[in-house]
Amino acid sequence: MRNTSMTLALFAIAMTGMVATAGASGEHSGGHGVANDADVERTISVEAGDMWFDPEDMSIAAGETVQFEITNNGHLEHEFVIGDKAAQEAHREMMQDMMGSSHHEGGHGGHGGHNMAEGEHGGQMPAVTIGAGETKTLIWTAPEKVERLEYACNIPGHYESGMYGTINL
Amino acid sequence: MSRSTIIRHPLSRRQVLKGSAALGLGSAAAMGLSPAWATPWGHSSVYSKGVEEGPEIALAIRREILPIDGKTASTFSINGTSPGPLIRLKEGQDAVLRVTNLLDEPTSIHWHGLILPPGMDGVPGVSFAGIAPGETFTYRIPVRQNGTYWYHSHSGLQEQVGHVGPLIIDAAEREPFRYDREHVLLLTDWTFEDPMSVFRNLKTMEGYYNFQERTIADFFADVRQNGLEQTAEMRGMWAKMRMSSRDIADVTGSTYTYLLNGHSPEENWTALFKAGERIRLRVINGSAMSYFDVRIPGLKMTVVAADGQPVQPVPVDEFRIGVAETYDVLVSPEDDQAYTIFAESMDRSGYARATLAPREGMQAEIPERRQIADRGMEAMSVHMDGMDHSGMSNMEGMDHSNMSASEMEAMGHGDMQGMDHSGMSDSEMQGMASERAKTRENGMLAAGEAQPGSRYGQAGIGINPDERRVLVYRDLKAFTPWPDRREPGRELELHLTGNMERYIWSFDGKKFSEVSGPIHFEKDERLRLILVNDTMMEHPIHLHGMWMELENGQGELIPRKHTLNVKPGERVSALITADAEGSWAFHCHLLYHMDAGMFRVVQVS
Repeated sequence: MRNTSMTLALFAIAMTGMVATAGASGEHSGGHGVANDADVERTISVEAGDMWFDPEDMSIAAGETVQFEITNNGHLEHEFVIGDKAAQEAHREMMQDMMGSSHHEGGHGGHGGHNMAEGEHGGQMPAVTIGAGETKTLIWTAPEKVERLEYACNIPGHYESGMYGTINL
Repeated sequence: MSRSTIIRHPLSRRQVLKGSAALGLGSAAAMGLSPAWATPWGHSSVYSKGVEEGPEIALAIRREILPIDGKTASTFSINGTSPGPLIRLKEGQDAVLRVTNLLDEPTSIHWHGLILPPGMDGVPGVSFAGIAPGETFTYRIPVRQNGTYWYHSHSGLQEQVGHVGPLIIDAAEREPFRYDREHVLLLTDWTFEDPMSVFRNLKTMEGYYNFQERTIADFFADVRQNGLEQTAEMRGMWAKMRMSSRDIADVTGSTYTYLLNGHSPEENWTALFKAGERIRLRVINGSAMSYFDVRIPGLKMTVVAADGQPVQPVPVDEFRIGVAETYDVLVSPEDDQAYTIFAESMDRSGYARATLAPREGMQAEIPERRQIADRGMEAMSVHMDGMDHSGMSNMEGMDHSNMSASEMEAMGHGDMQGMDHSGMSDSEMQGMASERAKTRENGMLAAGEAQPGSRYGQAGIGINPDERRVLVYRDLKAFTPWPDRREPGRELELHLTGNMERYIWSFDGKKFSEVSGPIHFEKDERLRLILVNDTMMEHPIHLHGMWMELENGQGELIPRKHTLNVKPGERVSALITADAEGSWAFHCHLLYHMDAGMFRVVQVS
């Protein structure tokens, strides 16, 4: 994780002028789509493994506030990020760029924030990073006017190995 | 015990039919008909030469005239095809493989990468006596691993005439990736010459297959770039070594046709997919002598396994595959279009090609081949230690400002004390960083640390790392530590040596015929094998019967491999748990190097 602060700094520079601030690589507070405990209508348990999510798809009503409880049963660190396919891809490319080419050290360690657009309506990408063996929660309100989103792990190679699922709204 | 001398026709009717279908296949392709390997939707088109499912499999080896690249070829076929059928086993099975020799000479099959009893390893003179003409040998293999492997003859030069095939073991448990479809991509190098005459040519005339020697035009180009003095000096050094800086491979596209699943670039074997699918490509380099650089322009490939062992996923644009290595990659073509699978030989003298397409008959652009690279300082670094330096007094004063990072990293450090490093960036220095690696009290490096002199951050000669993202050994990282966590109890250093002029290849300067006995591993010891390449060529070094954990600097997550590529001048190391009692082959997997003497027996007792 030695790279985290440097990575975040780079990230912040890269994102200047786009979105105001990003939190650390863990849970974000505030911003669109992130609600608080009181609004939670139901809890959805998600298992994260190497390299998959279980379930691989779920249905959430537009406007519904849910709490994701994500347990990482894999050997590696994973993230759980919500956004549309294009935003996930942009986030993925950025993370790979930040880690440098595969020729440089850094591996799958530190990575930056997620203040990419969740969908067309803008705002941050709700995200949480879960270490191996950990359980983390994320409270999120589903947006209106979006039909389909993805939850994904964008640590380089993880999405490509199949670590994503579909949210039907 | 598992040997039978009863001569009977081992082919089932089904196999005979398949054999004749395979015979018809090439001619159908030649006539422009829909090729036989095109299967309707819903069926697997994993591999074009047929599949034999375990646990009980019968294989028959015979000499057979088959079409290759539309021409008549004298092959050694396995169940009627060359390369042979895909052998598919399941983890946990006890496989029984009956191999019948219908040749007029002895043969064998070695199951490359499998951990198995020593008597089942298939190396004549080491693990068994070989399979005599007319005999059937029964291999009994407890299958306790999974992944992408291959099999091939371990007798003489038979591998060169297509006595090879893919071997896949399906995992008992969920693998760390998911996919919708898979294809096997078996790379081989075919020659219409008799392999014995290839070997004779190599023995009698160095550079026989190298037509890419430097020309007078190159000389003037070098002078413009490097100045007269330095150019003359470099040329003089190569001349002293009786090599051309363009000897990238011994045997080249001047005799080889590079094949993918047995098909030439013109035949354009097609791997089918549907847009949106994730496809697992199991890439096997079953060549006798050829390294390949593999890419699929327009698609990112995510490397998920190396030598059959899962690795943390690495997204790349290209990877180099040494002889006998395997890599599993995932691709996700989103568009309904054709993509070229392009495997360029390392010396740029040719390529294998196939197409990944949603339908038969499609093709995409074939990339331009890159220029052959020159072996620069890289190849010379080791030789500067061993050679007479009197002719090189200018070395210290040389201006290195034009050197590339790879050349810089490649250099031996000892000779370069006077060098001016001021122009080097941090990344260029990374090859030297390994010297700061952790050392234990006994002076040995801690397990998993990269050796000084290793170049795991480089793909090797002819690759420009700035052009695209290329896999390097340092990227390979296991998911969890391998079971034996002990530090090595000792180090065993072996030098890869050769005499290009006489085409002698050896370990520690001794051919196999010159050594008095095997290399001894103490049963259950944990040791570090250090390989130092004193030659100017890459060597893929293969240990039978035990894994080599490649110390690529990934600490406790170092990957394990059955074949290690050692670049010219490089020093690499691997940890070995000597848990497999018996005699095992250990050799360079370049076929003619092995035959020339780069071979040893390792005895574990």
